[in-house]
Amino acid sequence: MCLSTVYKNSLTPETVMMRNVMRIECKDGMVILTDLMERQMAIEGTLEMANLVDGVAVVKEAAV
Amino acid sequence: MHIHEDHIAGGAPQHEHPHTHEHTHEHTHENDHVHPHDHDHLHDHAHPHDHSHGCEGQCAGCQGSCEHTPMEELTALMKYMVGHNAAHAKELADLAGKLEDAGNHVAYEQVMAAVSDFEKGNMRLSVVLSSLDVK
Repeated sequence: MCLSTVYKNSLTPETVMMRNVMRIECKDGMVILTDLMERQMAIEGTLEMANLVDGVAVVKEAAV
Repeated sequence: MHIHEDHIAGGAPQHEHPHTHEHTHEHTHENDHVHPHDHDHLHDHAHPHDHSHGCEGQCAGCQGSCEHTPMEELTALMKYMVGHNAAHAKELADLAGKLEDAGNHVAYEQVMAAVSDFEKGNMRLSVVLSSLDVK
């Protein structure tokens, strides 16, 4: 139930996609992130990992 | 790949960006009000884009056409943290109760003392939050 930081492809400071993420939805090949302010961000790919203790998740971007 | 850069947390969520193609782009809001969404995207597919702004359609009172100021974001984060801490305090109290049930009264008392300290800290945060809310 903690807010998370979501990264793209790898867990590095340079690949932060969104902070304070409160909801992650996987739908129709898209991963849709929603932050505390209800802003949304969508990326084609899959949720590769979510560590709910550390509050981090990694989204694997779909190959073009 | 498709990223809504304008929705990245911490960035200015402006809803005007360049288009390189024609596509349908449905925006559904919980509110009744209409927002202009001139999007430029680098992909060639359609997708729904549902979100609410929590402003309940009160555009006149909404600062910056559904953009949020840094202080609004900090206040929202503080509000979340205070509620979150309260939930954790309850979880710790429940854990203490289980230690008591398991026969470890000393551990129970220590955890409950920690819960008390935790709640005092959260009370302090709550006071700060109240001061942020009134400004």
